[in-house]
Amino acid sequence: MADHQAVAVATHGGGSGHATVRTYVHVAIVLAIITALEVATLYVPGIPGPVLVISLLVMSAVKFFLVVGFFMHLKYDHPVMRALFVGPLIIAIAIILAVMALFSAFVLLPRVVL
Amino acid sequence: MADHAAAAVVAHAAHDPNIGSTGLDNRKVGMWAFLGSDCMFFGSLIGTYLAYKGKSISGPLPHQVFDIPLTSYSAALLLASSLTMVLGLSALQESRVKKAAMWLFVTAMLGLHFVLNQVYEFTTFVLHHDLKLSTSLFGSSFFVLTGFHGAHVTGGVIWLLILVMLAMRGKLDARDYTKVEIAGLYWHFVDIVWIAIFTVIYLIP
Amino acid sequence: MATQAAFMHGSKAETETFWGTVWSWLTTVDHKRIGILYGTSAFIFFLVGGIEALIMRLQLARPDNTLVGAERFNELFTMHGTTMIFLAVMPLSAAFFNYMIPLMIGARDVAFPRLNALSYWIFLSGALFLNSSWLFGLAPDGGWFGYANLTTAQFSPRHTIDFWMLGLQILGLSSMLAGFNFLVTIINMRAPGMTLMRMPVFIWMSFVTQFLLVLAFPAITVALILLMFDRFFGTLFYAPAAGADPLLWQHLFWIFGHPEVYILILPAMGIVSEVLPTFARKPLFGAPVVIYSGILIGFFGFGVWSHHMFSVGMGPVADAAFSISTMLIAVPTGVKILNWIGTLWGGSIRFKTPIYFSLGFIAMFTMGGLSGVMHASPPVDLQQTDSYFVVAHFHYVLFGGSIFGLFSGIYYWWPKITGKLLDEKLGLWHFWAMLVGFNMTFFPQHYLGLIGMPRRIYTYAPDLGWNFWNLVSTVGSFLIAVSLLFFIANVIRSLRYGAVAGNDPWDARTLEWAIPSPPPVYNFARIPHVQDRDDFWLTKYGDGHGGAPRPKGAPVTAAEIAGIHMPPASFWPLLLALAVAVMISGLMISMVQVAIGGLLTLWLMYKFAVELHRPAAGHGH
Repeated sequence: MADHQAVAVATHGGGSGHATVRTYVHVAIVLAIITALEVATLYVPGIPGPVLVISLLVMSAVKFFLVVGFFMHLKYDHPVMRALFVGPLIIAIAIILAVMALFSAFVLLPRVVL
Repeated sequence: MADHAAAAVVAHAAHDPNIGSTGLDNRKVGMWAFLGSDCMFFGSLIGTYLAYKGKSISGPLPHQVFDIPLTSYSAALLLASSLTMVLGLSALQESRVKKAAMWLFVTAMLGLHFVLNQVYEFTTFVLHHDLKLSTSLFGSSFFVLTGFHGAHVTGGVIWLLILVMLAMRGKLDARDYTKVEIAGLYWHFVDIVWIAIFTVIYLIP
Repeated sequence: MATQAAFMHGSKAETETFWGTVWSWLTTVDHKRIGILYGTSAFIFFLVGGIEALIMRLQLARPDNTLVGAERFNELFTMHGTTMIFLAVMPLSAAFFNYMIPLMIGARDVAFPRLNALSYWIFLSGALFLNSSWLFGLAPDGGWFGYANLTTAQFSPRHTIDFWMLGLQILGLSSMLAGFNFLVTIINMRAPGMTLMRMPVFIWMSFVTQFLLVLAFPAITVALILLMFDRFFGTLFYAPAAGADPLLWQHLFWIFGHPEVYILILPAMGIVSEVLPTFARKPLFGAPVVIYSGILIGFFGFGVWSHHMFSVGMGPVADAAFSISTMLIAVPTGVKILNWIGTLWGGSIRFKTPIYFSLGFIAMFTMGGLSGVMHASPPVDLQQTDSYFVVAHFHYVLFGGSIFGLFSGIYYWWPKITGKLLDEKLGLWHFWAMLVGFNMTFFPQHYLGLIGMPRRIYTYAPDLGWNFWNLVSTVGSFLIAVSLLFFIANVIRSLRYGAVAGNDPWDARTLEWAIPSPPPVYNFARIPHVQDRDDFWLTKYGDGHGGAPRPKGAPVTAAEIAGIHMPPASFWPLLLALAVAVMISGLMISMVQVAIGGLLTLWLMYKFAVELHRPAAGHGH
């Protein structure tokens, strides 16, 4: 029927493939596990600072991209959508890092300000 | 022939004003553009927090006030709400409007629970730890960053409840898939910003 | 044809009465009308900012002058800068985005017509709010970039800064909404066959500008939010006593501010890239390179912001990094200049007013670029910053660049918008008086800066050797004002007695010239199928390699026109804009007003969103 076709075009929006409900539930379970791991990492006794920070950043990045890729459907969508999000994301992260450096917030690096 | 294909695209575009000649829906493209912009907004707020981290000259310190178990629970709430959101969208695609409305309502309630947790957290900070907006750089940057995130969540809750209301009045169905989809995109974005805030502000010492 | 005529003027019944006409303009969602609204408002504010400049120049014409005192002078330079950037140049560019983008990509309107109207009304309420400060004797006085902690409550206790801070938030919202609209329009509403690389260069430059708008404004929004919280709620973001660093403001501001200057120049560059090929009867030399340069400028424009801060003591590593990135970004800019010259070289040039302004742009902008690249060296900039040298630099790029470019666009597209021609003689009087006046005003300021005159001073001692060139500069500024009189006379004359323009008075290259002047409300009776860059030129003259002009299709039928559905007018954008202004301005009046404005805003957003939800039968998708 025309209605279903219209819905199909609207939902697929030029992308290929589609995640199923099963995929969503699997992703949700993985997200829950990673969150638990993140919190548990905090309580590991004697963990060195850099190791803690890097493992937390990696775990949260994985969660971030799982939600973006599957729940937000970006994995299956037209490249235009990816560009519209990833470009600004890169600029935002670069600016966060630059501002941190300018305010000498990096404890791992020696102070670079006179 | 190229002409026929072009004519078909033109005919289709003329039929639905929201679909462009790329086959994409304007509203979806617009929402992704908005989310890209919002990355810069939260990026600036997070950058401010990190620039001032450890530089407060008085007042309680983060590790003295943060309730990691409560905040982890809140993070889990938002992650769960992202799942219920896509379940609702899936139901709508299959024209199961009542089921979709139910999932959207659950999503909104999970979001509302998140906001209430945050209100509780803020109240505890102010009343029990003497940490206010004006107490220190930590107080200022923490409340403004998480407060604006909470405001985004609140806006999302209102949006979802309006969609639920429209569905209950029989004014939402599979034709409105894109409208609900973009609400979902906004909702997931609010979730991933919390993923970033939770890690960078709460977890990383 | 009768049906075409009916469409051209909208519903006749509505527009026949005076109030009917007013209402139709207040509720319009037509991008062409919104473009005219932006352009008219922008020009009026350009005059307002100009008067503020003339008063300053009168004060500075002589040493120890007493025309205005220090406080008033602070207000004048603050409002002059803020007005020219946010209320003149940006909305003038927006006027062209609105009017020309749909036409040049072969579309009937923008992606979100009501959002477009909303952007304009929010802009107007922000502009009026900001300027209402004059009426209350509370004009902002902290400089157009409002450095903290001068702008905190401790050092600026009066509401002057609040007008500036809240006004900019309102204006920023308008710009961002428009940015999203045009981004989606350019991505999604191009005519079939118009691939990205077949888009006119003006569209490309506008496209990059929209990205800059939506990515840069969040940074100033945050900077202003932090200031707002400091001023109203006692936070400590810019309080050194609490350990805060006032440089946070400068960084956030310039993270916005540098992309902002590209927002100000790229549209003008796009206009010049359309005017030169038309009047040289040659395609733009190296169009892809010009496009890639624009993209590079946009992207790397986010990496140079601290060149505005070389004198604050960031340290050698930061200084060097930003110095290098700034020098690098001069490269794609210079490339474009070479491409424009390459376009003229060997062309068959017709000297009409539009190309005069574009040539003026190239010369003036190059001069501004040369002084700019001098600033890229931190040791040199330590002498030049905050002196009249940098004032000269940015006026060369913003006036000699943006304003000249925008006037080129005005003269170029006036026939399309109004259906009438502007007078060439008056146009040339305008151009030459403006070119001479502009250089008289600003060229001496390079020298004044180098011999030590700081900016933002309201007077100076008579024995410093600054007297003569300040006087020359003032005389020049009045010559600029005279040049504008020629322009205004030209406009009035053209609207009353101007010659009919026809579809294509310049024998141009792009799609907007294929339709009547002014265009019918639906723009294109039949959406064109595009086969190449400069497609309209090719339909007229073939591809220049022996191909014949493209055969015309079957004539447009009345049935085709009757089948075109244009979006209906709406009053929700106007109401929502008012509610937003009430809410944001309430922050400096009372939280009750904020609450009322906020609730109204939420309710009106809902009404706006559901206005077209489940439309009446026969129009649904």
